[in-house]
Amino acid sequence: MATKQKHKISVFTIINVFILSLFGVITLLPVLHVVAKAFSGEGPVVAGLVTFWPKQFQTDTIKYVLKKPEFLSSFKVSLFVTIVGTAIAMFLTVTVAYPLSKPELKGRKFFLYIFVFIMLFNAGMVPNYLLYRSLNLTNTIWALIFPGAFSVFNMLVVKNYFESLPETVEEAARIDGASNMQTLYKVVIPMSLPVLATVTLFYAVGFWNNYMSGVLYITDPSLKPLQQYLYDLINEALETIDATGNIADIDSAMNLTGESVRAATIVVSTVPILLVYPSLQKYFVKGITIGSVKG
Amino acid sequence: MGKTIYGSDIKQIEQGVVSKKSSPFMRYFKKNYDMYLLLIPTLVFIIIFNIIPMYGITLAFKDYNMFAAETPWKSISASEWVGFKHFKNVFGRSDFKNALANTLIISAYKILFLFPLPIIFAIFLNEVNSIKFQKGLQLIVYLPHFLSWAVVAGIFVALLSSTGVVNMMLAKLGFEKVKFMMDNSVFRKVLVFSEGWKEIGWSSIIYFAAIAGLDQECYEAAHIDGANRFQQIWYITIPGLMPTIILMLILRVGSIMDAGFSQIFAMYNPTVYESADIIGTYVYRMGLGKMDFSMGTAVGLFNSLIGLILVLSSNKLAKKATGKSIW
Repeated sequence: MATKQKHKISVFTIINVFILSLFGVITLLPVLHVVAKAFSGEGPVVAGLVTFWPKQFQTDTIKYVLKKPEFLSSFKVSLFVTIVGTAIAMFLTVTVAYPLSKPELKGRKFFLYIFVFIMLFNAGMVPNYLLYRSLNLTNTIWALIFPGAFSVFNMLVVKNYFESLPETVEEAARIDGASNMQTLYKVVIPMSLPVLATVTLFYAVGFWNNYMSGVLYITDPSLKPLQQYLYDLINEALETIDATGNIADIDSAMNLTGESVRAATIVVSTVPILLVYPSLQKYFVKGITIGSVKG
Repeated sequence: MGKTIYGSDIKQIEQGVVSKKSSPFMRYFKKNYDMYLLLIPTLVFIIIFNIIPMYGITLAFKDYNMFAAETPWKSISASEWVGFKHFKNVFGRSDFKNALANTLIISAYKILFLFPLPIIFAIFLNEVNSIKFQKGLQLIVYLPHFLSWAVVAGIFVALLSSTGVVNMMLAKLGFEKVKFMMDNSVFRKVLVFSEGWKEIGWSSIIYFAAIAGLDQECYEAAHIDGANRFQQIWYITIPGLMPTIILMLILRVGSIMDAGFSQIFAMYNPTVYESADIIGTYVYRMGLGKMDFSMGTAVGLFNSLIGLILVLSSNKLAKKATGKSIW
């Protein structure tokens, strides 16, 4: 992109592309290893023969995981939390980012101080836990939604983007008699789709990937989100490692080792992210660079 | 929308009559009351979930009795004040000192080994002329950022277990198998490596964008003057990136008190507490695991206060050094 020089492929380019590709390969190999384990037969997995390609290819482990009731219920919980949580989060973010993007708003500095303060200083794990318990939010779906339903950082990204929009379009809408709310809804939001797509992606991934809220607030198995379910599987494994570093647990239901079941669970729980991620790439690169650093 | 100016208004302005009703704020508020309506839902939300919990910080200075009142929250005010007892107690504990030391050591390792890599990656990716290669590689290296730490922990457990591919290769090469997840002398390396694997690509975005914003004519001029690629990187790209690098470094150092809680919480186990227990995980185990709520709050408060001071001062420093800041 930088240099528009048209020259033949140099030694530098070859070495450079080689090293960069190597970096890409290193990024992919761990993922491939897990995918290979998920699709390999039991024997090769236990014997430690699986590298980056399935051995004795089979799909039974994946099917077994997909049919497990605990997995299904966790998947549904995560799906619900992600969709409802992201909708709430976008509402809370956009409604507050718009007024704060107006320099003439009276009290703007005061509000911004509050938001920056809560971004930098958190009461901590224990007070939050006691509050959730006292509000009877523990072991409810809201304990998974509220902790991720507003991020000051994302709000500032949207606010900075709103500030960069040309004032004239909004002025025109106001002269036509639109209220501030109508201007936001009909003019500002349609002009801000790239940054809104980015922030939606951040919130959605945040909800989908959050395992901590589950660990803190959920003990009811039917309300465990997928990542907590996965966390429990891995944590069990880490605690049953024997002296040789072997993970020695056996999933008795199908005579599958915990190892292949875990690999399969990792694979299925990551597929939703893989599905939406490539189509959003063009948005998030633009969104994060426009909104995140203030000159 | 009140844009028309009536004769009476002009008279009022001329006479300098400012009644209470038409103070600048009231006039602004009348015209833009819906702006304040828009603020309400989020303000209510943060008051409940961010501001009110701050009252719970008083627990650090009290002996908490969970059953002193009807709800755990009301019990906070019903519990007795004990001053700095919990702080004095905790600062004398060796497991706390261990967690504090680990926090600083792990953060320092991560900065030392992981901070330069996204910069180098962005610079060299920028040197590739094929946009297709750039986009494709970016798609791959940004991906791990979108995986949860639970998934990444699972991936590394699979990779590093005794049946994992790493130990398999070590065995083939004639080395002994390594218990990566249980060995205090290697577990920190696992932490640094997995963090790098997950975030190097993503962190490079900001540098990549900064390079794209540099003056392209400089490169053309340098090329005409016979500068080779390395000279162009050394004399144009790196100086051009310096403000961004300094800003990011200062901010990174400012967040040194967070050594990666969600990562370590997902990956550690009792055998590696000695090398990987950090303040965040310590707070969880003491405060919620052992139900010592007051001590957990005290340690958490200590951590957030130091973190706050560091972030504020580093942001100030960044503003001074580069004229930029994150808020």
